[in-house]
Amino acid sequence: MADKDTMTLEVFRYHPETDSEPRFQSYEVPYNEDWVVLDAINWVKDHVDGSLTHRWSCRMGVCGSCGMMVNGEPKLTCAAFLKDYYPFPIKVEPLVNFAVERDLVVAMDGFMEKLQDVKPYIIRDDVNDTSDGEYRQSPAELAQYKQYSMCINCMLCYAACPVAGHEDDFLGPAALALGHRYNKDSRDQGQAERLDVMLAGEAIWGCTFVGECTVVCPKHVDPAGAIQQAKAMAAQEYFKGFVMPKGTGVAKGAAK
Amino acid sequence: MSGQYHRSHRWAWFFERPGYMRFMLREVTSFFVAGYLVLLLVTLGRLGGGEAAFVEWLASVSGPWWMTAHLVALAAAIWHAVTWFGAVPQAMPIYVGENRLPAPIAAIVMGYGPWLTVTAVIVWWVLR
Repeated sequence: MADKDTMTLEVFRYHPETDSEPRFQSYEVPYNEDWVVLDAINWVKDHVDGSLTHRWSCRMGVCGSCGMMVNGEPKLTCAAFLKDYYPFPIKVEPLVNFAVERDLVVAMDGFMEKLQDVKPYIIRDDVNDTSDGEYRQSPAELAQYKQYSMCINCMLCYAACPVAGHEDDFLGPAALALGHRYNKDSRDQGQAERLDVMLAGEAIWGCTFVGECTVVCPKHVDPAGAIQQAKAMAAQEYFKGFVMPKGTGVAKGAAK
Repeated sequence: MSGQYHRSHRWAWFFERPGYMRFMLREVTSFFVAGYLVLLLVTLGRLGGGEAAFVEWLASVSGPWWMTAHLVALAAAIWHAVTWFGAVPQAMPIYVGENRLPAPIAAIVMGYGPWLTVTAVIVWWVLR
């Protein structure tokens, strides 16, 4: 065990040029109760081993860059205080359910593609001239999606989702929550486009509502709830398709 | 891209987090609910066979082992229902203006309330 003023950090190391398998490396880091795990990792990089590779930026829970597994739990390392683990060793690994690029850095390509697939932006059939003024929205309409707009793309939810780890076609919690966020936006007219993507194959139906994405979300987005609501919206559109086959714009074959 | 390290799938993933275990426990309760549904259907079938067949069937599903099985199935069904009602407010939020109804109240409105109402009607219909 570390002495009073230090803690042990066990860090996942993998350098593709030299390592065929990852390994864990232990570092003794100063214990400061104001420090977070990210501070300890930065201290190692600055003072002990400059080759240690990790992502970080804002250090205040906004950028979503520093997500890692801390003692097996997906966490923003800028919000995981050393004092909550002291005096025991802290094991830091890259987020699970992602390929590892180097040390604590994961490959984000698949996630970025899924994010683009759900078209996370407002789609309009008609675009007003700016001189016509803004698209107005009431507080009640804002409340319908505001929670889901808080996502910072930190990908902790993917690391907590057992389906994301086993089903490549599953779009995953954050992408689906963001798709739902725009589907619920009263200014948006792209629901049919988005639902076509979200309802194909296992894209949304892979979700079995384990709910751990919501548990680990640092911004209280509740992706699990958003996904279930999107499923209900899809089912409604599917049945509406029988009543008014030309009216909904959602492909009938898309809903299961 | 070459050089990436892919960690292997974990077959025992459901032991990794308490939330995963709660999820699997809930899934397993489905077997008890389905099994008891089959038992009830067989019971209805025996009822159609006349009083003697029905009484004989009731006797054959009594005894300590059957009582234990009934109680386990009841516990599984209650756990399944309670966790379902707990999940409903997440899947079907109710908004009053710009305020979302708190989850416990939504669970009563959409889950426990209708459940108790239907149960009360059935009890009244049986006992009247």
